[in-house]
Amino acid sequence: MKTSAAIAFTVILIILIGLGTAPHAESHTKSGTAEAAVHAFFDHVKAHDWDDAYAMVNPGDGVSKESFIRDIAGNNGSLKTISSIQKVDTKTLNDSGSEANVRADLQWSTAVGAVHETRDFKLTNSGGDWKLDWSAPQQVPTAADAKPVQTNYLRWDIVQSGASSNEWGVANAEPPRTRIISMNAVDYNGSVVIMGEVVNEDTVPGFVTINADLIGQDGNSLAQESSFDKISHTLLPKEVSPFRIDFPGRKLAEVKSVRISPTNLLVPASADPLVGVFDQHIEKDATGKAVLRGQLTNQSGLVVNIPHVLATFYDKSGKVIWVSDGYLDQALKPNQQVPFAVDLRDDLANQVQNYRVTVNYYNSSRS
Amino acid sequence: MGKPDSEFLNQNCLWAEFVCPPFLKRPTENKRGIQLFSSTPVREYTYGKNESAIASPGMVALLAIAVHGPLLLMQLPAFAAGSQTQMFLAKHYANDWFGLWNSHWFGGFSQTTSAPLTQQVVALLSHVFGITAAYMVTQLAVVVLLALAVYRFARVWTGERTAPIAGIGSIFLGSLALLVYRDGALPATAGTALAIFGASFLYGFARGNEMLSLVKAVLLLIAAACCDSMTAVYGILLFALPTLWLASADSTDEEYGERRSTAATFIRGVIVLAVCAVVSGFILAPFWSSVFHSSHRLLAPDETAGNFLLQGSTALRYWIVPFGFMILALPYLFLSGFAARRTRALFLAFYVALIVGLGATTPVAKYLLGGFENALSVELFTFWATLLALPLVAVLVIELVARYQQRAVVLVWVAAVLTFAAPLAWMTYHPSTENRFRTDYIANFLNRDNHAQFRYLTLGFGSQFAEVASRTNASTVDGIGNGMLPEAREFGVSHLDNAKAYGSAGMEALRAVLKHANQYGLKFIFVRDRYYEPLIAFAGWRQVEAYENGNVTLWSKEDVPPARDLQTHQTLPGIERTLWGVVPLLCLILALLLMIATPERDEEVETMALPPTGTDPIRAQEAI
Repeated sequence: MKTSAAIAFTVILIILIGLGTAPHAESHTKSGTAEAAVHAFFDHVKAHDWDDAYAMVNPGDGVSKESFIRDIAGNNGSLKTISSIQKVDTKTLNDSGSEANVRADLQWSTAVGAVHETRDFKLTNSGGDWKLDWSAPQQVPTAADAKPVQTNYLRWDIVQSGASSNEWGVANAEPPRTRIISMNAVDYNGSVVIMGEVVNEDTVPGFVTINADLIGQDGNSLAQESSFDKISHTLLPKEVSPFRIDFPGRKLAEVKSVRISPTNLLVPASADPLVGVFDQHIEKDATGKAVLRGQLTNQSGLVVNIPHVLATFYDKSGKVIWVSDGYLDQALKPNQQVPFAVDLRDDLANQVQNYRVTVNYYNSSRS
Repeated sequence: MGKPDSEFLNQNCLWAEFVCPPFLKRPTENKRGIQLFSSTPVREYTYGKNESAIASPGMVALLAIAVHGPLLLMQLPAFAAGSQTQMFLAKHYANDWFGLWNSHWFGGFSQTTSAPLTQQVVALLSHVFGITAAYMVTQLAVVVLLALAVYRFARVWTGERTAPIAGIGSIFLGSLALLVYRDGALPATAGTALAIFGASFLYGFARGNEMLSLVKAVLLLIAAACCDSMTAVYGILLFALPTLWLASADSTDEEYGERRSTAATFIRGVIVLAVCAVVSGFILAPFWSSVFHSSHRLLAPDETAGNFLLQGSTALRYWIVPFGFMILALPYLFLSGFAARRTRALFLAFYVALIVGLGATTPVAKYLLGGFENALSVELFTFWATLLALPLVAVLVIELVARYQQRAVVLVWVAAVLTFAAPLAWMTYHPSTENRFRTDYIANFLNRDNHAQFRYLTLGFGSQFAEVASRTNASTVDGIGNGMLPEAREFGVSHLDNAKAYGSAGMEALRAVLKHANQYGLKFIFVRDRYYEPLIAFAGWRQVEAYENGNVTLWSKEDVPPARDLQTHQTLPGIERTLWGVVPLLCLILALLLMIATPERDEEVETMALPPTGTDPIRAQEAI
């Protein structure tokens, strides 16, 4: 009785532990397919197990282990360095047994929120193990490759009149003159979207935030939102920034008017870094969605850690019909080109006559 | 065969009439003690009234004070996340006992989202000691109460001789050390101590029909439920149901008192439990309402205990360190716990707690705990498992000492001390808050120049989040517990300070809250983790100050209006506020007064003369 009861309880415990552990073990042993190999690869990436992740790739020309890690884990304080893979959905595009193409929809958890990415992987079956073909990143080095460059761009500083005013900005100084030069309101995806452009008409830099208040048919406020990160807050003299404010769950039909209230503040600023935008063009991506693609070039001496691209789309009358944005997961080193792509509404692709790209940025060294 | 001059204990005895193991009989059932002859005899000293016990309850209490007192005087758990939260909530009670609306977290929340008793005790004592010292005094009192409760509990199950060993064992539990010093789990430890006391008095009422025991049991169980929700739902049942089963099993045995109906004994106890559940449910109605109406919460990785087989560090943290050397006793527990009729229910309760304490290693915790499943719950079940095992472990200790004498005593003490030391060492190498920093700069900033008219947010402060909250007059949009802003509720994220740990859901929740900064009057963000800087920089905040050599930065947004009332203020009816504010503390005070005023009469133990100890050889005789 004594021993048999002890054995019975021990067996029950072992069975329960087995039931609790089996699902995990199953997910680790699921292999043999190209999709499973992609999942396993990103499991290693998620665990920062770079050795095992590198062991699963066929490195292309110029891909060393170090460059692979830089590519997948990011460098120079880029967004990828503060991202982690959250979810991987895969779909096999074709599988010949020895080669396969797998499309992976990746959801990254980043410091600026969730970022979705779609990547197509080519896999090769070598001795029963699928390996991902890994080519060097599409970064186009220029002559002055990745060297900091001394620049002489303008910089505006604020000289404090007294020690009491030690907070950021100068509340008692006259704010720079800014003006909203265009505005449009549309219904989109169950939201009211207010978009437009704001210009700094002054000779000093300003820090701008746009708040909007939807006024209902009865004259009461329906909702308040702000431009949040869909604006370039720091505007140099004469600089124009698009803005976009979303009101989820609202319809334009219930809105009588919109109250826009920009907030301006005089701030110190510098024209450095300066980011150039080249080769802009609208095209379809691998999934058939319309995107605006181009190249960013950091034309100045500072590394831009996290570039943020704001694209303004105009119709033939010059009206702003859409504003979209996207964060780049690569840092912009001086004089280096990095490709970018931002979404465009498919239904507007035909109406777009012109577009303009503004680059906002975050520098980890900036205070 | 003559009567021996002294008593011998040995489980390997061959005498059928002295059924092994001997601990199953209380001293009263055989007033002459257990007299055995063995080839390896050990003398059991019974010098007189209660002198068979290694230590009296008073000595156990003093030992608890001696071990835990210095550590608590050093305020070791002062910066644990749980203790900071408790002190923050207690501070509100100290300022406004019946005003249950606290405007400092979540832009305003009700104190009824957390069981009140321990916070109220700390609040009461804070008027004498100050808030931190009051917390430490309360925690010390709880540790002492726990040792005494285990003493009494073990006496019910395995007799007078095991009680002090079990009581002393509870002082050195690794699981207790982790809960007290790392987690700051004052409510859980207090609730457990009161529940164990209540369960032992429940035995007295169910078996002996003692009315005083009934009153004490009811008061203690209600007080336990008012300490901690987990204890209210699971802990009380885990300790009380086996005790009721024991009372029923003993009901037909005249050696334990007047013969009674087994069913009636059990039903009487169940009715008491039901009454306690109804009364405590009524007192805590606002709390349960908030629990049942709370949204789904995501758990951050550090709030979950993973699979122990797959994650070695998790196994170490949540199982090996809490159990300590008690792991070596597991084979004995499995062999002896169920085999003996009287300890069968105790073993089953231990077994359940053991399995749930394994967390995600088995599927049981997920199904049994449901929405309560988190790392602290798993830890709590392991704590309960170790407490439930203590009466049986005490028996093992007695048997070891009986067999190996001084060597066993030394080894058991070493094991106990190492079991207690291991969690403290673990805390040193794995502190809950790394690189602690001073928060007075932050509090000073918020408390001056009308900055408190705006709300603030901390990011990456960890357990020091509550420390800031308790030092400032300003309100934050964040908090700990069941409260959530509507924006964060959509993502199930309850604690924005640790948003990145929730993955993309956490960062999206943070984005959503920051988008509505103007509505919440959220002007100031204190950042201790640079991970968050890109988001708040792109969102329109600018760095204005730096503290602690730039490790903590203050970010401000200029267009934010002063915070206004979010109009979520919930006022409870007067009767509910009165019940909440008065009854839990009243139950506790009455229970403690009754226990002090009416101490248990000690069992009378027949004394027998022993030959002088020391050099006299023990006379042994082979069993036939």
